[in-house]
Amino acid sequence: MFNDIKRQMMAVVLSMFFALSTVLCIYSYIFLKNTKALLIDSYSHSISVFAESINKDVLRIENNSEDLALMGSLFYKAGQDKTIAKSAITKIFENYENSLGGGIWFEPYVVDKNQKRFCIYAYRNDQNKVVLDENFNSEEYNYHNQSWYRQIISAITKEHNTAWSLPYKENQGSEKLMITAGTGIYSDDGKLIGISTVDWEVNNIFLEISKMKPTENSFALFADKNRDYILVSNDPYLNNRNLIGKSLSNVPWYRDNLKQVTYYKYHNKKFIPYVKNLDNGMFLIINVPKMELFRNALIHVTILSIILMLISTLIAYLLHYILKKYIIRPIDKLMLIADKISKGEDVHITIAKPEEFAELASTFDKMTYDIKSITKERERINSELSIAKSIQASSLPSVFPPFPDKKEFDIFASMQPAKEVGGDFYDFCFIDDENFMFLIADVSGKGVPAALFMMTCKTLMNNMSQIKYSPKELIEAVNRKICSTNKQGLFVTMFVGIVNINTGKVTYINCGHNQPLIKTKDSEYKYMDLDSNIVLGAFEDAEFKVYESQLNAGDTIFTYTDGITEALNKENEMYGEERLKDCLNKFHDNDINNIAKAVREDIHNYTENVPQSDDLTMLIFKYNNKTVKKIFKDMAIKENYKSFYTWLHNNCQEWGLNDVLVNKLDMCCEELYANITFYSYPPKVGMIEVLMCKSDKQIILQFEDEGVPYNPLEKQDPDITLPPEQRELGGLGIFMVKEMADDIKYQHVGNRNVLTIIFNNEDN
Amino acid sequence: MQILIKNFGVNGLYVKAGGRLDLDSAVEYGTSIKDAIYDAQEDIKEVILDFSEVTFISSFGLKVILELYKELKASDGTLKLTKVPEQIQASFKMVGFDKFLTIE
Repeated sequence: MFNDIKRQMMAVVLSMFFALSTVLCIYSYIFLKNTKALLIDSYSHSISVFAESINKDVLRIENNSEDLALMGSLFYKAGQDKTIAKSAITKIFENYENSLGGGIWFEPYVVDKNQKRFCIYAYRNDQNKVVLDENFNSEEYNYHNQSWYRQIISAITKEHNTAWSLPYKENQGSEKLMITAGTGIYSDDGKLIGISTVDWEVNNIFLEISKMKPTENSFALFADKNRDYILVSNDPYLNNRNLIGKSLSNVPWYRDNLKQVTYYKYHNKKFIPYVKNLDNGMFLIINVPKMELFRNALIHVTILSIILMLISTLIAYLLHYILKKYIIRPIDKLMLIADKISKGEDVHITIAKPEEFAELASTFDKMTYDIKSITKERERINSELSIAKSIQASSLPSVFPPFPDKKEFDIFASMQPAKEVGGDFYDFCFIDDENFMFLIADVSGKGVPAALFMMTCKTLMNNMSQIKYSPKELIEAVNRKICSTNKQGLFVTMFVGIVNINTGKVTYINCGHNQPLIKTKDSEYKYMDLDSNIVLGAFEDAEFKVYESQLNAGDTIFTYTDGITEALNKENEMYGEERLKDCLNKFHDNDINNIAKAVREDIHNYTENVPQSDDLTMLIFKYNNKTVKKIFKDMAIKENYKSFYTWLHNNCQEWGLNDVLVNKLDMCCEELYANITFYSYPPKVGMIEVLMCKSDKQIILQFEDEGVPYNPLEKQDPDITLPPEQRELGGLGIFMVKEMADDIKYQHVGNRNVLTIIFNNEDN
Repeated sequence: MQILIKNFGVNGLYVKAGGRLDLDSAVEYGTSIKDAIYDAQEDIKEVILDFSEVTFISSFGLKVILELYKELKASDGTLKLTKVPEQIQASFKMVGFDKFLTIE
């Protein structure tokens, strides 16, 4: 995804950061959840404790009430000493710290048959002193008619049974809102004779319950479920004071199953209700706003998360900073330096830390130095190689036409080298006045050794061709030389053609080279069918087969190296011999200078953009001389002379030669025929071969025999100014030949004497 | 080659040959004339070679002529050539025979 180390490292750092953050988030979530549960539990616990204390208060009040009832019962039974009872009650209430007051109240006429009401009531006054209040016995008050009395006495069903009044406001004395617990006083015969009461000031309860405020906006409800009245409510959304003693239906959020509810919604806030049932049927509900309950936890978790996030950001930044300082910056520096070095600037690199990079930098520095020296060395080698390449290229003839005055033939050659100094070469030269040699060759291997070897081969061919060898001797001599100087085991494939430009007689030698193509008057280009010899440089004593043939005007020989046929395209397929042949046959331009270009273009189209891997070398030879040729071959004996001169005359007549020329030809031919017949073979008998050619402007006669090597041209001319008496009879003939022929030459090629005479045939 | 040899006068010999005077025929030609000279009853002092029918002379023919000339000269005879076609005259000239041969 990211290709550069900087981004990769950033990605690592960022992913670490995100991983850390995710872990933190999960941790915070779990922590918060646990904290919430813990908080709920802990509040539940503290509220339970609180509720228990309220319950204890209730129980204590109920116990007090029972104590009082017991006392009332004793008072009734034990003689009804009012003084003792009053002081006892006063004493009792000094211990009952959380109650407002209380007393014992008897049913009408129970204590005294004349007195309807009898009660003893003590209360805690403003000075926190317990005093008796006698006013409750009054007619006006008439406690038997008070709601609390009636409620309690009607609720009591048996001994030790404590009942609670509804909240009421005492209109006598303190005028405080209170509720009263009462226990029945029974006589020995089990008759309910009165009640004891203990007053619990609602305001006190309210104050007590208001203490239980776990959070700022939590509120409580203290009520009696069985009798369906509200005792205390500090619900901030309700008019609490008016609710005292009212039905629970006035509390909108209240439901029976509130104990099972985790939270409820009230005034768009979530409240958690803690419901605690008391022993006397009352219950206490503390409603805690969920938000407030968890606010602190949330704040804590948030702060913790922020701190952890900050720490992880810091770690990420530190990591990034460290990476940047110790890895990315040195890498950047190295890159920058490398870039500068690649541009050829002379720079040194120093990195102090970390050690690895310091070491890398010094290695880099050393490498830079090494590269510089290597580059310098390589540049030197390259420049030398390019010089070598240009020397090599310039050693091949490159000016075409090379012999503008020779109309007998055209030659064109080209080498398009591959990158390296290659081993392909071509060459051509005149061996003598009329024999023209051309060759194309491919040295095995590439590079400098191949190039040097190529130069050797080329020079050898060139030099040795000037020695009067036959083609066979030439190639065998060159092979021997190559073998003797070739220690590297290199070899060369070569195709050589030697053409007599006058007669069109051609000799081919193919030394393991690609078969050339030839186009003749009668056919399109086709591959030659020459038996291939062994490559040059393989065996010193190798024998080479030569082929002789005749070229006619217009015949074209196309020679090439394997770089042409083995050129590869994108699919790794070779250009091939068929494609080459087709290309040549499609191309109808008679100017051979264009053939090589056409082939090159065809190859280029075939290979498209695949780089050239081997030299593309071609040499094209076209024979132009309109030679007509006749051959006479027979035993060199006098008896055959007649048939010889008949053959000669027939040729002359066929070609319409003029009498003067015919006469000259006649004389010369007779002389040369006689020479071979009388001097070359005797006492043995051998063959004579005469080639007679008519080209555009010449008549050429070539006499060949395999007799004693003899050059008649070396014979001294007779002195024709001498008087006839002193003149010799012999020597006239060759003198006449020399006189008459426009050109004459002798060669001893192989084991053959070759004498060529040429006559101009201007008027033809 | 056809050779016609006639004697004329007392010591004259008239030779008329037709065709080519070359490798093939020169020896025969020379021999025929020499035989005629030897066979004659009188010394032959004058030989006339009629070249009107000769189409070609080669070095062999020339050699025969030179040989004949030398022999006649030695016996104070003369050699005359008559009706020599131009081409053949050119051949004589080439080898310098025109300087001593009497060509009519």
